[in-house]
Amino acid sequence: MANENSRTGGFGAWLLDPKRRGALLVTPAITILFVMNIFPLLWSFGLSFFNYRASSLKVPTFRGLSNYERVLTDDKVWERFQTTAIIVGSSVILQLIVGFLLALMFAKAFPMRRIVLMLVLTPMMLSFVSVGVFFKLFYEPTFGVVSYLLSNFSDDRFVVLGTPAGAIAGIVIADAWMWSPFVMLLVLAGLVSVPKYLYEAAEIDRASSWRRFWTITFPYIKSLLLLAVLFRTIETFKLFDIVYIITEGGPGSSTETIAVYLYRTAFQFFRTSQSSALAYIVLFIVVVLTNLYLYAVNRRAEEVD
Amino acid sequence: MRSLIGGLMGATTLAAGLSGAPVAAQDITITMAAPDWPPTRFMKEYFDQTYKSPNGGNTVLEMDFIPWPSFYERVAASLTSGEQKYQMIVTDSQWLGAFVEGGYYMNLTDKINADPELKTIMQDLHPALVSAYSTYPHRTRAQLEEAGEVPAPGVNYYGFPQFPDTYVTYYREDIFCHDGEMADFEAKYGTNLPCTYEDWQDTDWAKWGQIGEFFQRKKGEMLAGETLDDDFYGIAYQAGKGYDFSTMQVNAFVWQNGGDIWDESKAPEAQAEGVVNSDVAVEAFDEYLSYLQYMPPVAQTGQMDIFVIQDLYMQGKVGAIIDWVGLGEPVLDPSASKVHDKSAFGPAPGTRQADGSIDRTGNIGGQPFVLTTWNSDEVVDEALNVVKWWLSPETQLEAVKNGGQSGRMSVMADPVYNDLRPWNRAHVEMIDWQKDVWHIPEFFEMLTQQQEEFDKAITGQITAKEALDAVAEFQQELLEDGGYID
Repeated sequence: MANENSRTGGFGAWLLDPKRRGALLVTPAITILFVMNIFPLLWSFGLSFFNYRASSLKVPTFRGLSNYERVLTDDKVWERFQTTAIIVGSSVILQLIVGFLLALMFAKAFPMRRIVLMLVLTPMMLSFVSVGVFFKLFYEPTFGVVSYLLSNFSDDRFVVLGTPAGAIAGIVIADAWMWSPFVMLLVLAGLVSVPKYLYEAAEIDRASSWRRFWTITFPYIKSLLLLAVLFRTIETFKLFDIVYIITEGGPGSSTETIAVYLYRTAFQFFRTSQSSALAYIVLFIVVVLTNLYLYAVNRRAEEVD
Repeated sequence: MRSLIGGLMGATTLAAGLSGAPVAAQDITITMAAPDWPPTRFMKEYFDQTYKSPNGGNTVLEMDFIPWPSFYERVAASLTSGEQKYQMIVTDSQWLGAFVEGGYYMNLTDKINADPELKTIMQDLHPALVSAYSTYPHRTRAQLEEAGEVPAPGVNYYGFPQFPDTYVTYYREDIFCHDGEMADFEAKYGTNLPCTYEDWQDTDWAKWGQIGEFFQRKKGEMLAGETLDDDFYGIAYQAGKGYDFSTMQVNAFVWQNGGDIWDESKAPEAQAEGVVNSDVAVEAFDEYLSYLQYMPPVAQTGQMDIFVIQDLYMQGKVGAIIDWVGLGEPVLDPSASKVHDKSAFGPAPGTRQADGSIDRTGNIGGQPFVLTTWNSDEVVDEALNVVKWWLSPETQLEAVKNGGQSGRMSVMADPVYNDLRPWNRAHVEMIDWQKDVWHIPEFFEMLTQQQEEFDKAITGQITAKEALDAVAEFQQELLEDGGYID
């Protein structure tokens, strides 16, 4: 018995040895990462080469690259990519413009600045579902506030979501409303980092406002702007919740993003292998964008150094 | 008829006694996936109050109430993940194929054949419900009736009605029965404005359109002697892109005009192309689209689903809507509805036939409940006891009093039935007209693509013909790939 106790104690001591403590501490995180992320990732990669359907008892057979071929030659997929590109492009540009203007406003002191700043930041703290529901009601043509306000100027109700262009605009506005404050925060960080003496020197040199902005302000914020563009592009590329709630991809399929289509393929049509192949293509695009993002971060770090 | 119900109750009690209750008294928990709405909430409440297990044990019914919009996804995710969480599931009839083929829903044919009480219940259920809610591969009502016996030989049964639903007309009595409005309507169209239940029995789609046009009023205009403080609309029916929120109404138009959808009961001979996009179907879909102009502007967005029209009606924005009976209870709730004391119900309009009669064929709503395949024998037996309890005449009547509906013909024939809730008479009349959509595993792809094309037509992007051509082409290819069409 005494020997057994000492053996137990010995194992405990061996395990808690400072040399192993680091590994011991990260083991739970790595285990969770493996179980929740890496294994499903590898498993779904494997599935993408079969003809598996989660709703069927049929034994899946190996199909090689046929799922990838089918996805890449499917007109619907390319239509969804086009829709995604339009929404991403419009939304990111709008976020940049609004975020930039907000940052310029908050870079200066004014009464109640802190309270207003807090209010402006609120949208990005809300859940996607809340924002989606909020804008859906906002756009509702019978009793929604947009239609109600505009009914003072027209006999007809204003139907935002009745046309493909209107529906895309509705989604872009909702997404930009939510995420412009994020762009603002990044740009504001750049603006406050500009040394004041540069502006003083420019004033002495009687430089115009535009020249001051272009030669002093912009160089300080351009990497942060690039960061904002990339970060928001990656996020908007995966846009699902707001689209699904506001339009469900309609009218027709005119606002169905690639993320919504992927969801339908996987969880409504149960084309599990085909959706895995599509998911890997989307992942590849996101990885490329993420690398650009990391490149921008490194460049910014070099500039700061 | 009361004596018939009493007789049935006696027979079922006797049958239960003869078949013998399980010997061991066990505590059993049954977890059921259920949509979160009054009919299932009542089931849980009433179960907790009244259910006594025949085996003497303690049975707990745990309802996992899931909001309607995510109900399919949540159930599908649970089943396909293999978590085996549910012993019973309230399911839409269209899901039968997907989840039977997936090995999740239990074939109950042998259980029904071996249990006289279940057999009695099945024989008393309305055949339209048995066809839609229970059979897979799908058998039509005509095929079941042709077999002459219940259960029919060679047919597999999976579900029992938890809540049979039909759509009916909800209308504002205060404006439809207003003398001034009635006189104006008659003067304009030369026909009466439907006020009583009998008037609605004689209402076809043409009159439905006239009602829509007549009651479309702008803010400041008069309605039933009062000045409107907001725009008002005469009619609304479902025209939404989500789930099946236009298909259910469009199918009614197609069937009533003599058209058809792809008929799975006639596979592999039945075709999609030439049927789905036949001239009759196109004409019927065009008629459906033609009435949208009289509906609230949300119709132009393709988002006018069953919940939106219910809400618009309860807010007093629409004169008449066609919606499911299951959504009627909130309309009578004074805390939720501005029209709780002004509403009446009638059968849904239909298509006038050459002989003057009205065809009201419609797409069945409601849900069956099913058992899952991983249950132990004890759980299966107890789940079937729960089914018998729910479908017993006394429980069914109690459910109907609380906003539910019964699928049992003997219960529906009870003289008190029509007076239990204001929509019951219309429901009983409508149930005889019901048919269902497809039940094959690919139903969701067919439904989603069809909803998309219908939505394009509803929002004016394409014509009815273009929409149905696209639907037919897609279905033909999908069904040929799946081996459903030769």
